[in-house]
Amino acid sequence: MGSHRARWIGITVLVVAAGLIAVLASRPSASVASVQSPLVGHPAPAITGTTFAGSDVSVPTAPGHFVVLNFFASWCVPCQQEGPSLVAFQFEHQQAGDASMISVVFGDTLSAARSYQTTLGVNWPTLTDAQGKLALAYGVSDRPTTFVIAPDGRVAAYIVGAVTAKDLDRVIAAAKATHA
Amino acid sequence: MSAPTRRYRFPLWIILGVVLVAALVIGSGALNTTPVTPAQRAVAIETGIKCPSCEDLSVANSSAQTAVFVRNSVRQLIGEGKSDQQIQAYLVSRYGSAIVLVPPASGWSLLVWVLPLGGGAAAVIILAVVLVRKRRTATEDPVDAAREEASLDAGASPDQLDARRQFLEQSLADAFAEHRAGDLSDRDFQALRRRDTARLAALDLRMVEDSDVAVLVGASETADPEVEVRAAAGSTEPALAAPGTATPVPGARRSRRQRFLITGAIASFGAALVLVVALFAASRLPGQTPTGNPNLSQQAQIQQSLAQAATLENQGQSGEAAQLYQKVLTQDPQNEVATAQLGWLEYNTGVQGKSASLIADARAKLDQAIQLNPTDYAARLYLGTVILDQDNNAAAAVAQYQAFLADNPPAALLQQAATILRQAYTQAGTPVPAAVPAA
Repeated sequence: MGSHRARWIGITVLVVAAGLIAVLASRPSASVASVQSPLVGHPAPAITGTTFAGSDVSVPTAPGHFVVLNFFASWCVPCQQEGPSLVAFQFEHQQAGDASMISVVFGDTLSAARSYQTTLGVNWPTLTDAQGKLALAYGVSDRPTTFVIAPDGRVAAYIVGAVTAKDLDRVIAAAKATHA
Repeated sequence: MSAPTRRYRFPLWIILGVVLVAALVIGSGALNTTPVTPAQRAVAIETGIKCPSCEDLSVANSSAQTAVFVRNSVRQLIGEGKSDQQIQAYLVSRYGSAIVLVPPASGWSLLVWVLPLGGGAAAVIILAVVLVRKRRTATEDPVDAAREEASLDAGASPDQLDARRQFLEQSLADAFAEHRAGDLSDRDFQALRRRDTARLAALDLRMVEDSDVAVLVGASETADPEVEVRAAAGSTEPALAAPGTATPVPGARRSRRQRFLITGAIASFGAALVLVVALFAASRLPGQTPTGNPNLSQQAQIQQSLAQAATLENQGQSGEAAQLYQKVLTQDPQNEVATAQLGWLEYNTGVQGKSASLIADARAKLDQAIQLNPTDYAARLYLGTVILDQDNNAAAAVAQYQAFLADNPPAALLQQAATILRQAYTQAGTPVPAAVPAA
């Protein structure tokens, strides 16, 4: 009688433990979760704001070309690492007219961000986003964070961490192939 | 004198349960009919939303910039008349379901809710079953009563045994009297009579053993102690067994198992209770309880932010530290500590990124920090180092370092700076002060 009860208790404990392990094992790992975004595949939130110079910028709902939206800070080392590559990307695609860059200041003083971009040679619009509305609309939690928006206005990719021009080209090529 | 188990008493655990449930209901604010203000709603929502850039912190408890953004958004959406569910759905649509601290009661997450509550309910049921069985056994089974008596009497002196016997006899007499007076039901009276008679029999057996008077009855010829105890329990006259029969082992084993089950059940119930209390406590609104997040003064918040930033800086999280220093400067633009530390972080970033503009900006901040407080030793140390590195001007650096040393810096900082100080003094051809420790 006693051994039967012990056996059932043991079996119950094992079943519960196995269930917990299954739940934990089926969850995406932290690194994967950090690059998931509910926005991918959905219409991109409106991109509107003010630049350093005080001029207003508003990207159409369907821009007709790829838009690379990059959230950065001047003091962030990965942002500094990707900076020259973004400049190269903009230079190449400006000629082709198939993609454009927009930067958004995220967690930085405007003076430091502006100085940094001037040094880098940035010639695309940078939105100040003082109230953090764009960061919130895009669910940005870290920097650098980059979104690639397809010509039809849908979010094609969400990348956390430093990107290269090659990464962006790959994402754009994949998006083109998907929509072809 | 009457036995304490005889009078009917309202079960204590029911009273405790009622008190507990009442306390939880009152504490949860479910009975609070005061209208919830928008600010209270905002805090309640923010408590359940994770700070996007933090580990395990709600936006209500975080000073990170992303948390500030979310807080502003929540208050704006409340102002627009959005419901709590709509606000949460909006944030989930931006950051994903991980933004919600409280797991949803659906899918796999349902297990998080069901397991502890199910475990708690199972524990209560097990506890109830064990207690009922134990009570029934204790009051109705004379065999177990005799066993229990045998274990109680183990090691007792003759005087103690005698006192125990008097107590049991008095108990029996009381039971008769109460039954006669109608205070005790027939069923309870029979149970008590059987129990106490069995106990008396076991006690008499023990007393006879102790007085070395061995009286054998027919049934005691068997070596089975179970039979001996049954013989004693079945008669109002003490039935005596052979000397040397031990306390029955099966009863002791069952008692241990019961104790194990009761302990496990209580532990499980306690864990479930803690979860329930924590759940209710987490959803409490400000103003409904004196406990919770204290409303810090602005100065206290600044001090807290500076301490957090220093910790982050020491951990190598320069970005987060810089954000906190910036936050302090938005609250207090004249704060020399934040100005100096931000300048130093900016300088290091500028050096790493080879950004002349950042280095210039950092230097301006350090100058500003010294203007704000000429005795700020950290700003002096940082500016001296910038001058030494960027201008290669050891004499000017030493001037800053002398001011640094004059401001009585902490020993730990002095030790960290020893190498650069010695280098500057040597380059300038000035004797190294005795206050500078060996590198």
